[in-house]
Amino acid sequence: MAGASMKAIKLRIKSVESTMQITKAMQLVATSKLRRAKERMENSKPYAAISREAIMAAVAQCNDPQVMFVTPREVKNRCYVVIAGERGLAGGYNANVFKAVAAHSGDTPYCVLPLGRKAIDKFQRMGAPLLDDTVGHVEGLGVSRCYQLTQRLIAGYKNGEFDELFLVYTSFRSMMSQEVEVEQLLPIEKPQDEQPRNVVTIYEPSPEEMLEKAVPDFLAGRLYSAVCDSFASEVSARRNAMDSATKNAGEMISDLRLKYNRARQGAITQEITEIVAGAEH
Amino acid sequence: MSTYHLQIVTPDRKVYDGEAQKIILRTVNGDVCILPHHIDFAIPLGIGQASVTDADGNTRQAACNGGMLSVSNNEVRVVAVTYEWADEIDLERAKRAEEEAEERMKILDRQDKDFAMAEVRLKRALTRIQAKG
Repeated sequence: MAGASMKAIKLRIKSVESTMQITKAMQLVATSKLRRAKERMENSKPYAAISREAIMAAVAQCNDPQVMFVTPREVKNRCYVVIAGERGLAGGYNANVFKAVAAHSGDTPYCVLPLGRKAIDKFQRMGAPLLDDTVGHVEGLGVSRCYQLTQRLIAGYKNGEFDELFLVYTSFRSMMSQEVEVEQLLPIEKPQDEQPRNVVTIYEPSPEEMLEKAVPDFLAGRLYSAVCDSFASEVSARRNAMDSATKNAGEMISDLRLKYNRARQGAITQEITEIVAGAEH
Repeated sequence: MSTYHLQIVTPDRKVYDGEAQKIILRTVNGDVCILPHHIDFAIPLGIGQASVTDADGNTRQAACNGGMLSVSNNEVRVVAVTYEWADEIDLERAKRAEEEAEERMKILDRQDKDFAMAEVRLKRALTRIQAKG
């Protein structure tokens, strides 16, 4: 009996060990990817911040309701750009993004532009209309692809497919914390608490035309920086998940070793008792 | 000579961040030159060569495409779609792009929207070749 349980424990140790090897390898891969992902994220930030500032200044001076990018209209349909991962095993990374979409959308019907295999699968299952389902691989998503996607989004917004556009992504705060953000992209909200500046900016040809030209570029840059941000978050979420999985596996193994040694000791003690008992008779 | 703070950014990197004496850029209204103490100003950019003179008086050529220029409080910002210094330009690639675009324009109809796209490609390629040479 003792032999059987010893064998079972030994098998269990083996299986936990091989799982640990996998989680450890995934952790190492994530760690090495993290450096590049963070670099890419840092490089994408200045554009997003600087173009945002310039656009907001123009929006504050734009009073023409003809400019569709800044004029709110009745919301019949929304669109969400959802950035998730290509694979799972990253803790709550993917689930948190989907939860945020569900919480934010409420009862308003919406269509989705999913980025990342997991997002495509999820919204396909839910039956939400997809604008595009070709971007499964977020890691290698480049600037020019972001421009193409933005063109698709702007066409959809202009011909009334949807009346509001939101970006759902995961913001990288630190190695330990990543937070899901829902950001309204269109219509662009006018800055509220801007104190009136007494300098007048000259817009050529006009603030309205400037916006028509510059907003698509701004959105594409924003999308690209959100993609970089999300990917850095995904990799660090995976690194953390795999780190704790590896630690757990280590703990399990030491527990199982203890059990195994106890069982072995028990078996030896029993054998000795049996032999001694046999010799006495 | 007085200078101003110039920042040039593209979606994937910060190209330039420092003092400059002047910058010449192709905008939708033609070439524009920004000198220190320019009035607050914003304009979308076209496709064309750019030239930056830094604080030491060295001038560098570049190929710039799309985006916008904004001047605010003597801070000049160029938010470009692509921006390449002359020494970063891949001449072979630009020449290939030029040939491809020309081929496409030969077979396409003028009304086709792909024709306009090919035309833009050709313009970008020619700008790069010019900036390089």
